[in-house]
Amino acid sequence: MKRPSVACALVSGLLLALAGCGGHKPEVYKTQLMTLGTIVDISLWDVDEARAQQAVKAVEDVLNGIHVHWHAWEPGPPGQPNLTDLNARLAAGETATVGAEDVAVLRRTQELARAGDQLFNPAIGRLIELWGFHSDDPPLGPPPAPEEIRRLVEAHPTMDDLVIEDDRVSSRNPQVQLDVGGSAKGYAVDRAIDALRALGIDNAIVNAGGGLHAIGAHGDRPWRVGIRNPAQPGIIASLEMRADESVHTSGNYERFFDYQGKRYHHILDPRTGYPAEGVLSVTVVTPDGTLADAADDALFIAGVSGWKEIARRMGVTQVMLIDADMTVHMTPQMAERLRMEIDPPPKIVVEALE
Amino acid sequence: MTRADYFVLAGALLLLPWLYASYWHRGGVGEEVRIVGADGREILASLRKDREIRIEGPLGTSVIEIHDGKARFVSSPCHGQLCVHAGWLHLGGEFTACLPNRVSLAVVGPELRYDTINF
Repeated sequence: MKRPSVACALVSGLLLALAGCGGHKPEVYKTQLMTLGTIVDISLWDVDEARAQQAVKAVEDVLNGIHVHWHAWEPGPPGQPNLTDLNARLAAGETATVGAEDVAVLRRTQELARAGDQLFNPAIGRLIELWGFHSDDPPLGPPPAPEEIRRLVEAHPTMDDLVIEDDRVSSRNPQVQLDVGGSAKGYAVDRAIDALRALGIDNAIVNAGGGLHAIGAHGDRPWRVGIRNPAQPGIIASLEMRADESVHTSGNYERFFDYQGKRYHHILDPRTGYPAEGVLSVTVVTPDGTLADAADDALFIAGVSGWKEIARRMGVTQVMLIDADMTVHMTPQMAERLRMEIDPPPKIVVEALE
Repeated sequence: MTRADYFVLAGALLLLPWLYASYWHRGGVGEEVRIVGADGREILASLRKDREIRIEGPLGTSVIEIHDGKARFVSSPCHGQLCVHAGWLHLGGEFTACLPNRVSLAVVGPELRYDTINF
């Protein structure tokens, strides 16, 4: 018999090596849940099916729990008081007793509202309800009567009206009705990431639409996040995530109605009582999701002239604001890592916060 | 080299493109869509075969169309119509949903251009 040749040995080796790729190929496990009033996209890197299902269940439990507990207009299940009960007590001028986690959330919300110069204002639940945004489906219009809006703006409810003593909460202003829709998503997504970490999962993204938190990486490359174009379907820009970061975007396209040719969206300016104007979307990147979520609303309302001041006050440095003319304003810290994905690229203005 | 060696070599060279495509190909285009209805029932449908899929939800029927490698909500009984306005999806990782009717649509692909989309 002839000796096997070198070529034959090389080819056999190559084939074996290639076949070896098929053994354990790490991949992403992806699924979507409908909770938090939105669609939540979960990505897990290199986790087997059984652990992935356990992880998704853990995320779903955390998000559902927060969704039900902090729901601004649907009462909790029997025996489980939620935000609607707290709001009813505040409206009646009573003092409510709440849990330790609730106290922490409310105090944090107060701090963020103060840092955001009360532009991020979760005390304007009545105004949000008046506009019809206390509904799973966006309202049809028409917008509320101007005098109704004026009345609620003049009542000037803010988070500073809340008095929190130990586990007791009351309000100095009976017009305070809490709606934490502006920051709860960030809080919820961060808690979901905590739940994943507790299960030993270190490479994941939990994305609740406008707000996501990413940890670890997609194997040997970073997680890649596309940011929606606020003016048309598609992606405007993308980011490669660093190890532990949140990305939150507020846009005028999320919840809105068009009435007589004018768009009315859900991000209300507490100073005027009307949807904030001049901005299409704001994206904030920072590790803390609650901060990012509160900041994107505050910066959206602050607008082209005021966003830098509010970003400084809130301590966020990576910001992109797209104004109504599709000019993209961003901080140098955002500009150095953001990749534009539209051609031709939009007009970009890089503005330092200092 | 013997004649058999040439056969092995030729066979290996022919196999290579297939192996490359199977293991290293990084296309961004999706292959299937996963549709989840209100009852949690999941439908996996190939993007290569044009069809119309009707899903019942609490509000009525959502209609999803697959055409030419893309998928979209044609109609849904919600008044927001965000799902319909999302338009055609075709890249792996793209997703949308009719939340009021509890129907979601996601493109499943081998490699994603974006791992997720902030919207």
